[in-house]
Amino acid sequence: MALDLSGLASLGAPRQRSVARFPWHVALLALSICAVGVWNLASASRSSHVDIWITQATWMGVGLVLALALVLVDYRLFRQGAWIFYGVVVVLLLVVLWKGRVIMGARRWISLGPVGFQPSELAKIAVILVLARWFSTDRESDPRRGPRGLAGIAIPAALVLVPALLVQRQPDLGTALITVAVGATMILFAGVRWKTLVVLGTAVILAAAAAWPHLKPYQRKRVETFLNPEGDVLGAGYHASQSMIAVGSGQGFGKGWGQGTQTLLSFLPEQHTDFIFSVWAEEHGFAGALVLLTLYFALVGSGVTIAMNARDRFGQFVAVGATSLVFWHAFVNMGMVTGVLPVVGVTLPLMSYGGTSVLVVFAALAMLASVGTKRFAN
Amino acid sequence: MALTPSTPRGDGATRLLWMAGFAALAFLVLLSRLYQLQVLRGEEYRVKAEENFVKELRVPADRGLVLDRNRRVLVDSRPSYDVVLIPYFCGKGCDEVVTRLATLLSFSFDEEERVREHLRTARGLVRFRPFTVKVDISRDELDVVEANRIELSGAVDVLPTPHRSYRHGIWASHLLGYMNEVGAEELVRLNAEIEKAGDDVQPYQARDFVGRRGLEKRYEKDLRGVDGIQRVVVDARGNAKRESDLIPESQRFEPSTPGNNLVLSIDWRLQEFAEKTFPATAGAVLALDARTGFLLALVDRPAVDPNKMAGRISRAELAAIRADPLQPELFRAIQQHYHPGSTFKVVTAIAALEEGVLRPGGTVYCPGRYTLGGHTWRCDKDSGHGQVDLEHALGASCDVFFYALSDRMGTDKIARWGSLLGLGKPTGLDLQGEIPGVMPDEAWHDAHQPGGHQHGMSLNISIGQGDVNVTPLQQLVLYGALATGKIWRPQAVLRIEDPKGDVLKEFAPDVRGTLPVKPETRDAVMKGLLAAVNQPFGTAYGMRMKDVVMAGKTGTAQVVKLGLKRLKASQVSYFQRDHAWFAAFAPAEDPEIVVVVLNEHSGFGSSNAAPTATAVVRKWLELKEEDARAREGVQRPAVSPPSAPPPPAPPPSPARAQKPARAGAAFTDGGRRGA
Repeated sequence: MALDLSGLASLGAPRQRSVARFPWHVALLALSICAVGVWNLASASRSSHVDIWITQATWMGVGLVLALALVLVDYRLFRQGAWIFYGVVVVLLLVVLWKGRVIMGARRWISLGPVGFQPSELAKIAVILVLARWFSTDRESDPRRGPRGLAGIAIPAALVLVPALLVQRQPDLGTALITVAVGATMILFAGVRWKTLVVLGTAVILAAAAAWPHLKPYQRKRVETFLNPEGDVLGAGYHASQSMIAVGSGQGFGKGWGQGTQTLLSFLPEQHTDFIFSVWAEEHGFAGALVLLTLYFALVGSGVTIAMNARDRFGQFVAVGATSLVFWHAFVNMGMVTGVLPVVGVTLPLMSYGGTSVLVVFAALAMLASVGTKRFAN
Repeated sequence: MALTPSTPRGDGATRLLWMAGFAALAFLVLLSRLYQLQVLRGEEYRVKAEENFVKELRVPADRGLVLDRNRRVLVDSRPSYDVVLIPYFCGKGCDEVVTRLATLLSFSFDEEERVREHLRTARGLVRFRPFTVKVDISRDELDVVEANRIELSGAVDVLPTPHRSYRHGIWASHLLGYMNEVGAEELVRLNAEIEKAGDDVQPYQARDFVGRRGLEKRYEKDLRGVDGIQRVVVDARGNAKRESDLIPESQRFEPSTPGNNLVLSIDWRLQEFAEKTFPATAGAVLALDARTGFLLALVDRPAVDPNKMAGRISRAELAAIRADPLQPELFRAIQQHYHPGSTFKVVTAIAALEEGVLRPGGTVYCPGRYTLGGHTWRCDKDSGHGQVDLEHALGASCDVFFYALSDRMGTDKIARWGSLLGLGKPTGLDLQGEIPGVMPDEAWHDAHQPGGHQHGMSLNISIGQGDVNVTPLQQLVLYGALATGKIWRPQAVLRIEDPKGDVLKEFAPDVRGTLPVKPETRDAVMKGLLAAVNQPFGTAYGMRMKDVVMAGKTGTAQVVKLGLKRLKASQVSYFQRDHAWFAAFAPAEDPEIVVVVLNEHSGFGSSNAAPTATAVVRKWLELKEEDARAREGVQRPAVSPPSAPPPPAPPPSPARAQKPARAGAAFTDGGRRGA
């Protein structure tokens, strides 16, 4: 399933140069993680006796096709469609709140015939595109313009918060937080005044204090548990403590593929999705975790390099957004599994089981690769 | 590196570097956290992970059996199943699960409420603990629960539990005692005691049963045994998994050690006979081996069924037992005060003879009443007994004779001899809860009675009324002392054996003292006791036996002060009727068995207690003969047909408690579970 890059010719650039410019290392890193992820899922699904790794591999195939399509399209088309896409996603988020399918107490899914998908995942992409669009207008790109003050970031902030709040209403705290984190990263990249940052930081702390009573009890409990994980080992702290046991018991080199007792005996909740990293860490130990960490870091590093060398502002912002999406997902997820961060529902890119998540990550990486391919302005 | 001219390249690059730096830092944090968890604390988490999936299941030890002296099984354990509920696993669906269970197991309202209350109140860790919903379900119920396992959402489990089986229900149940589930606070206390004692005793766990009363409690340590352990692999829901190779084979199973068996001195044939013969609603029949001080039978009524007390009783039933005015939980033989009535006259007689108040052959004239200081004490025979000596006075139970003796010697002398004969203090039966009785002297009256001691009180005491109080067991020991000259410490357990039948501990006969009287005194009293049964004027003349001479004394203990008119028992309400006593031993010339019968609120000792005692004595003699014949049969096996029932075995004397030849057979016959 190699990428057919002949279509790059359609960009008008000589074919050879396009192939040469394609960031192969990004594809290699992503596919490595995919391979590790499928292999790991095969182990994680032993206890449920459902071969979900096949499903996951299938989704990855679909993702690859999608990625190819996105790479072939001139990403400047995305710039033109950014607002429309954003508008559609916001409408979908409203629709899902109004009449979505309720699964495990949250209204996150929209049925499209036999398949269900989560518009909240699309929200991340929409935010990346719309912010990239916003910051790449002539006015915003004026080099004489210094770092932004409060007024300068009000509109982009609103563009982030509208979908984020809609997602949070579902409720899906994890996705909402990632959306905000990605948006914030892009705004910071655009440049914000130090004074404004301090003011905002203070405001955020105050807002958090004010929002605390309005969080759902389970969300509050997770934060409380994070602050004191030993407090309630069998209650809300169960996830955290069991995943820490899984990770820790992997020791230096792990118990071996398919040998993780925590995994095998279902002590890990949601071990296929949010807690997939603990399966990996239990069975492959510190060495395996180090390998995976290195892969993610290399991917993030490649993303930064691509952003550095982007040929235009829109591409640069898209690269920053896509990279930060991967980064925040990886960091928050692994932080949660290792007990560094509170338990929030955030997937580990290309490791966690789930079609929508796989497709979104592939889309983000495809946009990144697309930016990387067109480094030189024609 | 051409960027669009409008791009502020410098700033962008700096910020990107900052961001890359932040990402590197973040990954470094993750890396050090992983290092901490996996490398530095890895071993600790490895152990935790193992504890996660290794579940130690208890293999309950078989509790020791209780056997009678002929190794007949009285108490054993049989397999049974208890239903438990783990609230955590049904969560919000618990209500529905309980409703379903209630239908499947046909709960009473009480039972269902109990479970619902637990669900309401259980918090935290308690929600993970199995809660016993119903004990000892039937086979059918077991099938029903198993079939509906899935609908009960995995929160309901059926645990095999050996259930204590008291084969003869309420018979001898006060002596045997019962067990039930250990309470939460008790558990903590018991384990603290075990730890303090430092012996190598296994701590108790929730859902364990402990001996509550009687021998079950007294010999808890011996009967209990040591539970074994089975280690299984479980998943997060606690369900056992087949992946047992996660546990080394040598660690998978530690077998249990069964408890030791108690061999009682009770002869169940005699007990059974006494139970059937004794007509009383409330009272006791006690039989003692006169030569060893071991109990042969102990009937005590009313009683509660120990099988029910072991957890199968409903709250309503328990409340009914607690409210019953007959107090079925009271172990009357050692825990209840009774006036000894005329059976006490032997003490007064001994005191008078030993103190020189009564010369041998001395007589008293009985006109039917005795007057002292303006008060009149009635004799039980209104017309009077005329001139009576001690033999006649004891035999016909003349009260006036003893009024006269006590008038002459006073309370303290009677009390002194009563105490010397063992009254006023526990007999020392090795069971919890024995009361000492009361043998009042003047000082006691001064301390306990509003007007202090009065001389007239000694008259009441002389015939076993007033403030003298005894337990039926004290009576047994007293008459045993008259019979043999030895004050026995009564015992009920012959020996403790390990499960294979090897003797671990043998209890020897225990003499606490000898009858501290001159031989002439004892002879004189004995003459009176013989007269009571064997002379035409005797109160128990109707009870005499052809081939064996029995000696004894009747007693009719007043419960309330006599009215002016004598009333028949049927004319008085139950709780105001007199207690009937009979104490006897046989054969009189070389006593082998002592029997005391107390029939509460039944009227006269001669008619309501003596017949049972006589029947028990007769049965004992029959059994003795039977055993002797059987022994001959053993010696000449050729004579007995092969299909003949196995010879019931041992000689009745527990002093030479041999292990009977058919011990093994009786043992398996006892239906020891699984073995």
